[in-house]
Amino acid sequence: MADVNLANMVAGIRLKNPVLTASGTFGYGTVYQQFYDISALGGFVTKGLSLKPRPGAPTPRICETPSGMLNAIGLQNIGLEKFLERKLPKLREIDTAVIVNFFGETVEEYADMAGRLDKVEGIHGLEMNISCPNVEKGGAAFGTDLCLTREVTSACRQATSKPLIVKLSPNVTSIAEFAVACQENGADAISVINTITGMAIDIHKRKPVLANITGGLSGPAIKPVALRMVWQCYEAVDIPIFGIGGISSAEDVVEFMMAGASAVQTGTMNFVDPSIGRKLAENLGDTLLRLGVNDYKQIIGAAHNQ
Amino acid sequence: MLCSVISNEPLADRFFHLTLQPEAPTGAITPGQFVMVQCSTGGDPLLRRPMSVADSEPNGARFSLVIQVVGKGTRLLSRLEPGDTVDALGPFGKGFAMPDQAGPVWLVAGGTGVAPFMGLVRANGATREITLLQGARTRNLLLFRDYFKKYGATVISATQDGSEGFKGLVTQLLEHQLAAGAPPCAIMTCGPGPMMKLVANMATDKGIRCFASLENRMACGFGACLGCVTRSADGQRYVTVCRKGPVFDVAEVEIADG
Repeated sequence: MADVNLANMVAGIRLKNPVLTASGTFGYGTVYQQFYDISALGGFVTKGLSLKPRPGAPTPRICETPSGMLNAIGLQNIGLEKFLERKLPKLREIDTAVIVNFFGETVEEYADMAGRLDKVEGIHGLEMNISCPNVEKGGAAFGTDLCLTREVTSACRQATSKPLIVKLSPNVTSIAEFAVACQENGADAISVINTITGMAIDIHKRKPVLANITGGLSGPAIKPVALRMVWQCYEAVDIPIFGIGGISSAEDVVEFMMAGASAVQTGTMNFVDPSIGRKLAENLGDTLLRLGVNDYKQIIGAAHNQ
Repeated sequence: MLCSVISNEPLADRFFHLTLQPEAPTGAITPGQFVMVQCSTGGDPLLRRPMSVADSEPNGARFSLVIQVVGKGTRLLSRLEPGDTVDALGPFGKGFAMPDQAGPVWLVAGGTGVAPFMGLVRANGATREITLLQGARTRNLLLFRDYFKKYGATVISATQDGSEGFKGLVTQLLEHQLAAGAPPCAIMTCGPGPMMKLVANMATDKGIRCFASLENRMACGFGACLGCVTRSADGQRYVTVCRKGPVFDVAEVEIADG
């Protein structure tokens, strides 16, 4: 059987294959070791870390929706110190790219996190979650404000020389504008997309299902929106794109690549089939062969007019 | 793990007893542990459903679930027939454990809450004095009474319509039993959140240790999503029901209404 080359250098991160798992769905890496050896993945992205531990939001935090789910976990995480002490040492033993997702409540906090993560060995890339509220500016998300996006990207760029990925919020009018803002301020790559704001109502209790009222929608339901946004970003910027949104099959992975993604992250489907990451990585080669492709780089952006 | 359906026995009303044989034995399943069942291979519903293991063979070569049809997912499961396959993950979580001190144990259950007590009674009914306080709307919903008696439990029923046993809620029966005689050395409870809350309060008031099987919404069931959390009793943090529970000492956690 002919070999398909799945290896690539994306945004300065060496990936053995383009299949990663998304932040918030994979803990700090080791929770899935009970299901498979996660070195099968090209990489994974940690749960979003803040400097101090955060308890997260009141329950209910989750709700199933057609072909998807809503979450309002509230950025619960163990904090940077515990991650570095208790989780990272185990991750250094696994042969896969470790990307740390992080956030802050102010531009200074973001930059401070980036600076602290900068020199840490065993971390191959940083992914900035800008979909959280800016407490200084009344709680509006960084990622829905173009100026703030520029400011926070630039501040983090100055704080670290590690590969810097900005994870974009889809809850904006023009995602291409935000992609450009990130590229212009030094981002090495963008992740497209984070969750889409949605809600559900309990008709018996006559109130929202989630304690937070709204939550982020993810899963197969959002795939068409995520694909459209990857497409639009690919047309607007040159930096590589990590495609995220409802990926559940090798064919989905190929769709995202043809839309313009250089790598992908699978998220919600990890809950449904914990081995999905391994399966996508294993099946991608065969899927590409059937399409007459022997190096996946050939199809990045292939659906766009040449 | 892929499981073959051995039997799917309709019980009263919308209840079913589904017996599964996993492709490989799971190993011993502690009563109170649960599995995450995939109800559809077509993505609708998308997420798995958490279900307490009811009874199991000692090496996990077979196990059973008690299912009540409450929505799309459970309706699909109710239609499974012998020879069908269904995918389940697990068993997950911390189950019930008999207290170290010898002494009577009371189990308080409502509806499908009896499920984890099946395995517990089968394993311990011969060596411990176990009393099951079982509540249901009406007598034909008092599930598995013969099973519990067979394995050595004393069963005291409560029906809301008075068609069998004590007329009223199982929590009212518990109040009655606590007033009537010597307290047990521990109470274990499984069923609707409000019921378990009342049981926990009554037990705590009398200084009796109490363990509850919490039933929070779950997406993954194995500790990745952080959706299923409950607040610790001191209010300082959230703990995952799927990993640190679902069985908890009620002194340690808040019980949600559900």
